[in-house]
Amino acid sequence: MRGVFSREDRPPGSPRRFSRGDPSPRAPHGEDCPSPHIPLAPGGPPAGPAADPRGGSAPGAPALLRARGLVKVYRSGAVPVEAVRGVDIEVGVGEFVAIMGPSGSGKSTLLHVLGGLERATRGEIWLRGQRVDGLSAAAWAVLRRRHVGFVFQFFNLLSTMTVADNVELPALLAGASPRQARRRRAELLAELGMSAKADMAPSRLSGGEQQRVALARALANEPSLLLADEPTGNLDSASARDVLRLLRRAHAAGQTILMVTHDAKVAGLADRVISLFDGMIADDARVVPASRKATPVRDILELRG
Amino acid sequence: MRGTVRWTRADLRAHRGQSALTVAVVAGVVAALVLATMLLEGALNPWQELFARTRGADMLVYLADGTPVRELRALPGVRAVAAPYDAAPATLVQGAQKSQVELRGMGPSPPAMSAPLLVAGSWLRASSPDGVVVEASFAAATHVGVGDRIVLDGVDGTTVAMRVIGIADTADQGFYPQWTPGLIWAGRTLLSRVEPAPSETTEVVGLRLADPSAAGTGQVSQEVFDAYNGASESSPVERIITRQQVMESMASDDRLLGLLLALFGIIALVAAPCAIANVTSGRVLMQRQDIAMLKALGFTPGQVVRMLIAEQTALGVAGTGLGLATARIATSPEFVRPAAGIPVTLAPLPGSWTALIAAGTVLTVVIATAIPAWRAGRMSPVAAVQPSPPGGHLSPVARLSLLVRLPAALVLGVRDALTRRLPAALTVAGVAIPMAMITIALACWATIGAFTSDPGRIGLAGALTVYPGGLSAAQTTALIARDGEVGAYYPGAQFDTLLPGDNGTFVARAMGTSRSPYPFQPVQGRMFGAQDEAVAGQGFLDLMHVRVGSWIDPTIDGVPVILHIVGRTIEPDDNGDVLDFGMDALPAAGASAPMFYSLVLRPGVSAAAARAWLLRASGGRLDVRVVPNPAARLGVVRVVIVVAVVILAMIAMANLLTATHVGLRDHIHEAGILKAMGLTPRQVTATLVVSTTIVTAIGVVAGVAAGCAVAPRLINAQGRGSGMGWGIAAGLSPPAIAGLVGAALAVAVAAALFLARRATRARDPLLAARVPVPA
Repeated sequence: MRGVFSREDRPPGSPRRFSRGDPSPRAPHGEDCPSPHIPLAPGGPPAGPAADPRGGSAPGAPALLRARGLVKVYRSGAVPVEAVRGVDIEVGVGEFVAIMGPSGSGKSTLLHVLGGLERATRGEIWLRGQRVDGLSAAAWAVLRRRHVGFVFQFFNLLSTMTVADNVELPALLAGASPRQARRRRAELLAELGMSAKADMAPSRLSGGEQQRVALARALANEPSLLLADEPTGNLDSASARDVLRLLRRAHAAGQTILMVTHDAKVAGLADRVISLFDGMIADDARVVPASRKATPVRDILELRG
Repeated sequence: MRGTVRWTRADLRAHRGQSALTVAVVAGVVAALVLATMLLEGALNPWQELFARTRGADMLVYLADGTPVRELRALPGVRAVAAPYDAAPATLVQGAQKSQVELRGMGPSPPAMSAPLLVAGSWLRASSPDGVVVEASFAAATHVGVGDRIVLDGVDGTTVAMRVIGIADTADQGFYPQWTPGLIWAGRTLLSRVEPAPSETTEVVGLRLADPSAAGTGQVSQEVFDAYNGASESSPVERIITRQQVMESMASDDRLLGLLLALFGIIALVAAPCAIANVTSGRVLMQRQDIAMLKALGFTPGQVVRMLIAEQTALGVAGTGLGLATARIATSPEFVRPAAGIPVTLAPLPGSWTALIAAGTVLTVVIATAIPAWRAGRMSPVAAVQPSPPGGHLSPVARLSLLVRLPAALVLGVRDALTRRLPAALTVAGVAIPMAMITIALACWATIGAFTSDPGRIGLAGALTVYPGGLSAAQTTALIARDGEVGAYYPGAQFDTLLPGDNGTFVARAMGTSRSPYPFQPVQGRMFGAQDEAVAGQGFLDLMHVRVGSWIDPTIDGVPVILHIVGRTIEPDDNGDVLDFGMDALPAAGASAPMFYSLVLRPGVSAAAARAWLLRASGGRLDVRVVPNPAARLGVVRVVIVVAVVILAMIAMANLLTATHVGLRDHIHEAGILKAMGLTPRQVTATLVVSTTIVTAIGVVAGVAAGCAVAPRLINAQGRGSGMGWGIAAGLSPPAIAGLVGAALAVAVAAALFLARRATRARDPLLAARVPVPA
């Protein structure tokens, strides 16, 4: 069976499928893991990471998402609230970036703005080399179908649809035939161990199961970018571990992930952690634990432990 | 597209109840519209239906006996010619009453063209050689029923007894007594017994024309005359009846009926979009979370709008189809069998009308869905579920209420309900409009009921009219006086009188005397009480351009009379063109002898029983007639009222359920907080019930109040327009109003209680209060 999280066809049983402990923080990249499903924009990669003052992604890595001077002001009440105040961010292809910060620091807002759910008040957003901050709601929607997947804290499965329909819907929306959508759904659910519950209503699943379905739905179209908003925030620890393992597996298979969390342990799984405070980036650090520099054998042992 | 279809299918499956409600509301509205239109058409123009069902002839030609019909077949434009039937004039003798009759000879199997439509009994058969079938309106007018024995006199005086074995409708001629003579079908043998001389009989030939409208132009009639050597004295063509003549004769000028029925059409047209918009917007409100998620998944705003409109339109189309099917079944001849004597009241609806109703309804659904769908399209993918928290604060009244220890649930519920003004206003309107219309419909019912229960109000205190017939005035009054069932009797005389300028007539009627007048109940002014005083119907006042208080000088029965109009009565007949006064107002030289006596029966006595007694006592020499009540004619309106009330109740229910659902969805959020603050579960439920019920209660009360205020005016305006006059309306009785309001409120509370209990039990309100959305 094809590894559904892989971004290329690998021979069955390929050891790479579950290689979680790749020594390199950006393991999926490089020559042994090209990502043909993420074609870059014809114009080539946008201004390289050198242009980013914070130097987000590793030198030479193509930037998938770039934002500059991002500001989001809410004007619903009498007093305007600045949720995001001038954020510059860059996420490379295949990177796993966590955004951390206390409540009200603007993490979720930043994620929504980057995914086009909300419109930025000011600032530029580039996705796959294309400037997208000026797109209409409809153009954003079309862009999201293929290139942006969302996972939310409260799962937000469509309550009227079965698990199977929830997962098939994005594929159908993106123009896949029902047969293709069904095949893709079967693969994803099998991978997530949810095949038996395909015909159930989401409300009959546990939180962990719902989040797994939500993840399957987000990955259905192999999006360029997966945006996860506190994906474990509403789960018990066992379910949370489950979901994180799946996220890492997807990452290992080349999926670019931008995740919001307030849990340092969760953030520790990422390649990079960006700290947000009062709507501004306070820190942007690469996670390179010393232990990871060890040999593959030690790596495996560590994982098993 | 595939995604859209998939979601729509899932949504319809998940919300079966609501979808069924939408379909049912639309179907109900369509069925009501179709039915109302058919009833209206049928009531105003019963000819079309009769013509279709009897396969009527476009033209009837009466020829002298023995005239060959070859010439008619050869005429251009004639498509078919029905075999000639023999017909003979005769007289139906019922005591003193004699009615002119055309006796038409037919075989045991009804003809292919103008086949009489049996409404009771059976058709002519060989086994009953003295059996005849009587035309329905003639049977009703002469009080003849199946099984009765009747006696017909031929032209030469031959008397033949017959038995009525059937009553049938026909489109060959208009209704008796507007159209004379009456029509009786008999076997040919029986016919020859009444009229043995073939030279005295006539041939009736039915023609079917290639262009039916040509019958009305006179051209075909001319061709028929020409075919038989011109319209000279010796022409064998005795008479020609065209379909247009019959149609015009049957068309009733009953504006009251038309207006009442039109009212219900308008009700359906106004209430339907209200209901559909309410149901749709309610659904959209309840789907906000899913719609927001769909947008996050990549549905464009346009796609969301199109999807919602398509979904509701599909339901609308399904509802329309169901409604048309229901109307078709409900009006099929198998279901609707008109009672004997009542003209068929349903007219077939032309296809274009059906298409118009169907298209109009579907368009209404689309328009009603457009606004909620547009709002859904603009909904932010993030803003989902959480309704904006109610602004404001506890009002001074609320604080005071809490201070005097009114139940917290009541205070909080009321506050909750009225904080969001726009949804509250929409709910109030959504419930109030159908409730107001139900009230109006019930007031119409009450008005018609009052016609029956208190006929004196509309000048029909006298239930019987007795014509002396073969008896003298003294014998007649002696007989009437002996009848213990008669409470009072009034001598009367009636004259069709020319208006000044000869441009119309009115009915001048002497009823009782100025000292003992017939018990009219004037709605304006007073009763006549002197020799030169009179009361009049609205139609008369309008015709003469006079008012109550005016003096008039009509020429009645050839003698000029000066009368003072002192009052206005409700006049159900003759478009209200009636002037009533005492017998003594007529000059002594005029017709001082009463033409008839109007009998007011003692309470509880049936008119039919009294009539039977008088007929028996007089040995059949008196002509006793039951005074028809217009309420009987308005029976069709009662059917429409029942249909309309059911539909409106459905619409009100749909609005109420939607409002309750949406209200709960908004408030369940606060329920958790209230619980956390220390309200018991019962108090929380009570708060929810109060907050959702209070709005619907306002709607119910406002609707009923508006209905009560408007209904008498509307009905009176229609009475005024029809000539009966302002003042016919009978208001709803206080118990009826209380019952209506009580029933509506009970339903509202029950629905709210049921849904609130389910909501509070189904999940922990605190959990429900969380915001399961990107926030």
